[in-house]
Amino acid sequence: MTDRIGDVLWKIFALAAVAFMALPLLLLVLFSFSDSPLLSFPIERLSLRWVTAVVERPGFLTAFRNSIIVAAAVGVVSTSVGTLAALALSSIGGLRAGVVLSALTVPIMVPPLMLGVMLLTYYRTWLDMPLGLHTVILSHLVFTQPFVILVVNARMATFDHAVQDSARDLGANPWQVFRTITLPIVRPSIIGAALIAMALSLDDFLVTFFTIGGANTLPTYMWGMLRKGVDPSVNVAATLIMLLSIGASVVGLRISRYRG
Amino acid sequence: MELVRSTITGRVSDVFRNARRALMLLPSGAIFGVLFLAPICYFLVISFWQVRAYRLRPDFTLTQYARVFSEYWKPIVTTFSISLLIATMTVVIAYAFSYFCRFRAGRYGQIFLSVALLTLFGGYLTKIYTWKIILGEAGLLNSALLTVGLIDVPIRAFLYNWAAVILTLVHYTLPLAILPIYGALKGVKEIPLAAAQDLGASKLRVFWDIVLPQTRIGLLSAFALSFVFAVGDYTTPLLVGGPNSSMIGLFIQSQFGHRVNAPLGAAMSFVVMMACIAFIAMAALLLWKATRPRT
Repeated sequence: MTDRIGDVLWKIFALAAVAFMALPLLLLVLFSFSDSPLLSFPIERLSLRWVTAVVERPGFLTAFRNSIIVAAAVGVVSTSVGTLAALALSSIGGLRAGVVLSALTVPIMVPPLMLGVMLLTYYRTWLDMPLGLHTVILSHLVFTQPFVILVVNARMATFDHAVQDSARDLGANPWQVFRTITLPIVRPSIIGAALIAMALSLDDFLVTFFTIGGANTLPTYMWGMLRKGVDPSVNVAATLIMLLSIGASVVGLRISRYRG
Repeated sequence: MELVRSTITGRVSDVFRNARRALMLLPSGAIFGVLFLAPICYFLVISFWQVRAYRLRPDFTLTQYARVFSEYWKPIVTTFSISLLIATMTVVIAYAFSYFCRFRAGRYGQIFLSVALLTLFGGYLTKIYTWKIILGEAGLLNSALLTVGLIDVPIRAFLYNWAAVILTLVHYTLPLAILPIYGALKGVKEIPLAAAQDLGASKLRVFWDIVLPQTRIGLLSAFALSFVFAVGDYTTPLLVGGPNSSMIGLFIQSQFGHRVNAPLGAAMSFVVMMACIAFIAMAALLLWKATRPRT
């Protein structure tokens, strides 16, 4: 009997926890399509009114384009660089690789605010470099690269190095070994890592805010909207950021797990 | 002769292999060195400088650190107390939730877990903003309560206070904390647990002596992630906190905005980061003291 009660209590707790995590986000999506200018129940009519309102706002499409440019650049660079490092580390192995791996992942433990102001000071005061999308891309590499290394490295931990050795014994050069043996096996993890890197880049506000200068990405644009006062078009911008980043990461996680 | 030749070719290919590995690590190391290590070192150097007549002057002074401790100790203490509360709440909920998914939910465990992890990528600003529209005076919670008839006048007290800050940050850090804890719980084998129970150990005893010690690292990572995140955040108190809920991030940020005192901001950042490391080390010590694996 007490077991039954315990079971019910556990279920209630878990459902409450899931609702706490997911419900606010679902409400946000719902209200992006509400016709009313007020953010309140009940929803009388659904419409795309606020979606068009956002798209027609000056600067929105530029911010959207900038977000895509940054995420794509960060995805490509971070994934190639991180994958190379992870492959090297897995072939070195042992304690030395472990030490290098933990050093390379330190940037994740630094709060984004501090990373942002640190990089801002570095670019402006030391390098005297103008700020723009290029500085945002460089900055995003710092915290996305560790995730790529971690994901690909985790895949390599269960990788059977004997297949590489056999290929080499049969006369394949290192490039051929990589192209025909390693890459096809690790590819899902690499694609997954790339999408996670892009999701992190798309969603980043703090580091971008300090390193972008006068331009905007979607999150900094949304920040500007928030500062001017809340109207339902902010919901649409927020939903868009959320869908882009959830979309990229869900596809990424699925791909990297499915065949990985 | 044959042996000698093969050792020589072996050596040569060793050299090539090491060179290739070094080359593969180079770009990654360059990003780490040029875009992380160099900025952090420069930032440390700057924290000993001064600003005079709106310009940075190289110096070697502890003035900035003295100012951090004399003028900003209050927001620092507040920030760390609140963050400790947030990280503790997050870790407790995340642990219970992961425990449920791992041991009690059966085949539904995976579904519960995927929903939780999906919200991990819900967006940083998006999540903070969502709580603003839920808790606001003309917000969703108030309008729902009014419609149902539970209240007649909208309640103002939901937003712009510490409770809203805590709620919002726990909401943000929860999926982040579930990830390492569930990862650790996945590694816990079920057979010893059943054996201990058959031998008469209570559920609580089994949990405390067998499960918890095996998941200490996951628990600590979850705590560290949530704690550091809460300490470094300033957007949440700005958007949903009250006029008095200033966390140290807000003061750091303003040194690079309108106040333009990078040395002071740098000194604040280093004090905060060092304090974070100290707190996490203390948490680790407590955790390892309190839970000892029994064999």
